[in-house]
Amino acid sequence: MSATIGTRVEHASGAETLERARARAALIPDLLTESRHISNTAINGWHGRRKRGVGENFWQFRPYVEGETLAKIDWRRSARDEHIYVQDKEWEAAHTLWIWADNSPSMLYKSALADVSKQSRAMVLALALCDILARSGERIGWPGVSKPSSHRNAAENIAAELMHANLDVGFPPTEHVKKFSELIMISDFLDPIDELIENINAIARRGIRGHIVQIIDPAEESFPYAGRTEFLDPETGSTFIAGRAEQLAGDYTKLFSARKQTLTNHLTRLGWSHVIHHTDNPASTALVALHSRLSNEQAYNSGASQ
Amino acid sequence: MSLLPIAFASPWILLALAALPIIWWLLRLTPPKPREEAFPPTRLLSQIPKQEETPAHSPWWLVLLRLAMAALVILAMAGPIWNPQKPVVSGNGPLLVIFDNSWASGASWPAQIATANRIIDQANADERPVSLLFAVGENAANQIGISAVQAKKTLQAAVPQPVMADWSKTIKILKNLPKAARPTSIIWLSSGLQNTDDLLLSKLLKEQTAADYQIYLPDLSQLAAITNATNDPSAMEIAVKRPQSTQSLSGEIIAFDEQGRSLATTPYTFNEGATLAKALFKLPVELRNDIARIDISGKTNAGGAYLLDEKFQRRRVGLISGENSDLAQPLLSPLYYISRALGPYSELRYPDDANISNAAKSLIEDRVSTLIMADIGTISTDTAATISKWVEKGGMLIRFAGPRLAASASNALIPVLLRNGGRNLAGSLTWGTPQPLTSFSPQSPFADLNIPDDVTVSRQVLAEPNANLSQNTWASLADGTPLVTAAKRGNGWIVLFHVTANASWSNLALSGSFVEMLRRVVRLSGSAVSGKNISANGAKETVLPPFKTLNGKGQLENPPGNAKPLALRSGKLNIANYDNPPGQYGSADGFVVQNLMNASSKIVPIDPENLNGKPVRLAYIADAAEKLRPWLLASALLLLALDCLAVIWMAGLLSREIIKPSMALIFLGLLMFMPSNQGFAQNSGNTTTGFEATLSTRLAYVITGNSEVDEISRQGLIGLTAYIHSRTSLEPGPPVGLDISKDELSFYPLIYWPVDPDAKIPDANSMARIDAFMKKGGTVIFDTKDALSGGFGGATVSRATEKLREMLAGLDIPPLERVPSDHVLTKAFYLLKVFPGRFNGDTLWVEASEPETDNERPVRVGDGVSSIIITSNDFAGAWAIDEQGRPLLPTVPSSPILRTYAFRVGVNLAMYTLTGNYKSDQVHIPALLERLGQ
Repeated sequence: MSATIGTRVEHASGAETLERARARAALIPDLLTESRHISNTAINGWHGRRKRGVGENFWQFRPYVEGETLAKIDWRRSARDEHIYVQDKEWEAAHTLWIWADNSPSMLYKSALADVSKQSRAMVLALALCDILARSGERIGWPGVSKPSSHRNAAENIAAELMHANLDVGFPPTEHVKKFSELIMISDFLDPIDELIENINAIARRGIRGHIVQIIDPAEESFPYAGRTEFLDPETGSTFIAGRAEQLAGDYTKLFSARKQTLTNHLTRLGWSHVIHHTDNPASTALVALHSRLSNEQAYNSGASQ
Repeated sequence: MSLLPIAFASPWILLALAALPIIWWLLRLTPPKPREEAFPPTRLLSQIPKQEETPAHSPWWLVLLRLAMAALVILAMAGPIWNPQKPVVSGNGPLLVIFDNSWASGASWPAQIATANRIIDQANADERPVSLLFAVGENAANQIGISAVQAKKTLQAAVPQPVMADWSKTIKILKNLPKAARPTSIIWLSSGLQNTDDLLLSKLLKEQTAADYQIYLPDLSQLAAITNATNDPSAMEIAVKRPQSTQSLSGEIIAFDEQGRSLATTPYTFNEGATLAKALFKLPVELRNDIARIDISGKTNAGGAYLLDEKFQRRRVGLISGENSDLAQPLLSPLYYISRALGPYSELRYPDDANISNAAKSLIEDRVSTLIMADIGTISTDTAATISKWVEKGGMLIRFAGPRLAASASNALIPVLLRNGGRNLAGSLTWGTPQPLTSFSPQSPFADLNIPDDVTVSRQVLAEPNANLSQNTWASLADGTPLVTAAKRGNGWIVLFHVTANASWSNLALSGSFVEMLRRVVRLSGSAVSGKNISANGAKETVLPPFKTLNGKGQLENPPGNAKPLALRSGKLNIANYDNPPGQYGSADGFVVQNLMNASSKIVPIDPENLNGKPVRLAYIADAAEKLRPWLLASALLLLALDCLAVIWMAGLLSREIIKPSMALIFLGLLMFMPSNQGFAQNSGNTTTGFEATLSTRLAYVITGNSEVDEISRQGLIGLTAYIHSRTSLEPGPPVGLDISKDELSFYPLIYWPVDPDAKIPDANSMARIDAFMKKGGTVIFDTKDALSGGFGGATVSRATEKLREMLAGLDIPPLERVPSDHVLTKAFYLLKVFPGRFNGDTLWVEASEPETDNERPVRVGDGVSSIIITSNDFAGAWAIDEQGRPLLPTVPSSPILRTYAFRVGVNLAMYTLTGNYKSDQVHIPALLERLGQ
């Protein structure tokens, strides 16, 4: 008999994970997100942004030109001087990606079989993704923490903001996530499956495309426990005492894989992708899988799991 | 019970064993604590349908372990005894118990008492009258034919006696035994050792023709006794004897001082077949003289203790010298010859303190019988009073002359009046020749010594001739001048050797006669101080009251009621007996010891085969019977420890990280149980005082209390330190101001003392500290700063000089001289002819060195460093610099050259105090190199 298999760990800090994320991201080529909607204007990775056109965001004021519809005039600006101005919107061609990694207590778990905690791995994946996407000029945001921006150092900004943010939320606040953006969620998704699917559906209904990266500790998959054991849920604090833990192993693994399958099936139906990552695997495998999902329509349509 | 040789003291406790099944049932019900695991998907687990779960039991082996533990505790409580014995005393007539309570019974006492109790209990049950006779003590006739209850009371009051068995009284009683008391059973509870009257006693016992005749014998394998101790020059030898020699036996002997503190331990080993073992205490003689008692470790009888008194001690001689203690040149130290002469015969004491008054006091408190003072001139009045009081009481004061004594004006503590100054017989300017020693006075202790023909005296101190001189003279020279004079003061003596104790005035110290003479004188002292001169009454009987005596267990305690005063006949000791048990007789100041044994004592086991009547031999009851309770409890504890480990292990806490520290803890715990009788010396004392001062060499100045003077001293020494730093390889630390009444002086080689005419003279204690500092090799520069008004050696006396003279009056100052041109000071670093400071007045004054006869040498052989240097040139004023390094005070006459010279003087002074005569030896380097052929 040895010490406990699983341990609860501290939050991995933003700065430290950023370093590791950088190292992972360096292994991945620049990522050009497949844009289904604006394929015609995609020029070398820039999605035709920085131009006036149809969109939702402000781009510029310009003098009113005779013949334009009066509805375009920005009266508030025009009242300030003698000219009449028209407000141009930015051409909403850019692709916005929202990245979110779970920081809830259940993620702060590392078993003896894994090298890092789930939270640490999730954070590394998220920041590595930020780095890759920022390199490609995508607009990246972190729901609840950082607005989308296209700075090349977006990953750094996000890491800095994460350090000060309160992250103990079970599910990302998606009210700012707009239609056609993509949402990448990295978590263990251990909440009750019905609740989870309902949340996902709510997001999907708003026209947001999602990518789910499920982080699983190998101990959660294989259930290597034996003997009289008291299991403690770090998230809810509920306990479960098993007289002979080894007897539960069969039922548990069945239940766990069934749950995974349910999630995959549902996500495929929504057109979302589902990447499963174990913390005993290197982070780059998940990154490569995600990269291919984001860049390759076919691959993600196949819905293969990692 | 009959199957196993086991019995229980309280068998009813065994009923508790019936509770074991209940304990078993309870133990099985309590499951072990589950292992706690953090597990995020715990919620999934609760979805698993409940299976039927057998309750987790404690593992069977854990239950078994705990049951065994409970059983062991219950068994231990029942008090099991292995191999119990029952005395068999049959018959129903009167019972006679002969109880040997002599010294050896101390070891077997519990067994003897237990057996006697059982026998008497049985007699009580059988309603037999009992006669109880002891080997030592009052065997009153009413112990004959008493009831068993009464006999038991007598038995309870009995104690082992620290003396040999004496059956004579018992035999007398047996001879007059009334018919009614004629025993049908005889029990002899022997201590196992043979006594003189054993055969006679056994003959009488046989005549009783008892039906039962038993002798009980103890196990003698561990018995040993100290029979003798001899104090040789190198070690104290202890003789240990034992009765049995079948197997080897070893142990330890502990020496205690009078206060009962243990001084040393030494092992002894009896080889197989040997009944005598020797143990050696290889201790310094001082420690050996402190030994008052020697014990066999773990002794249980009086034979294991041996007492020592003053006749074992060697004479204690205290040595004080006026010279500073220059250990680098021992042959020049006067004490060297004295210690070599007396070392083999006496215990020498050196004072811890160079301060003479403290030294004399501490030596007298040390109870020295002889005090030797080599070349001490001035003795302060109260010290002289202390010493003379001690002499009156019987102390022996031996003094040696020397330059200091010759210079001293005082005639205190000197047997005859001395002429001031002394006489030089072999100097270059004298006509005389060295005088040989020609006669010893017939009244003197030297009367029987052969007059040596090789002893000559070249210098001496002369006695003022008067009528009593010849009476007081013990040894004289060819011209009739005394060499050794002595005077009786009270009970003691003052003896003066008119020459030095080293070879500088005479070669007496090198001759064999010196050893003999000193020995005679010291021997004369010895008996004088040993308190109440006990053996001096000679053939007459001296009666000494018992002071402390040994009890039957060998412990020294207040004498029992039966101890009577010891009558000494011409110093010879009796054999210890009931009236005079072994112990110390006399008083705390002086006592004579009486020991149980002496060198010729033999320890022989009793041989029942030789006894008349062939008694039945039996072993004592408690001997063979062994109590099992401690063993059972110990194993229960062990099981408990195992159980704890098992519980920890099952809780999963015994991972690798925890094993190491926990093992260490367990190991520590085990260590704590180990018996250890070793004491650990405690580090006492705080040594941080002055730690800073020891890190680097520093110049120091005396704080006079006048802030102006002190500031100049400080800045002066800073200036000198900077100069030394830049010019020489010596790198002194920042200078220190010293409060001579408090600060430790010994860290500083050189102390600068500006003499302030307005300052108060330091108190006697401070001056004593300065005296000690100078004696120990320190140098003090006194600066009167009055060169302009006459200076130290000048014709007129300035106020500062007056003050200095006043101060030095309390010190033991050697003769002074102006620095001669070939003094080491002139060559220590720079070549100097003058020693200016701020003024260029008088030169330096230093300790006078021996006049040099060999004019070939460019430098005088100065041995040691002058402990006092006096100037009037205001050194510090010349050295003083401000923060910018500019000189503070002008020189008189104002000249940069003068200041440079002043700094050079400072460097030479520092070098001189630090290197001593090294520089004077350096002048030989060319010659040495030449000799080496370079």
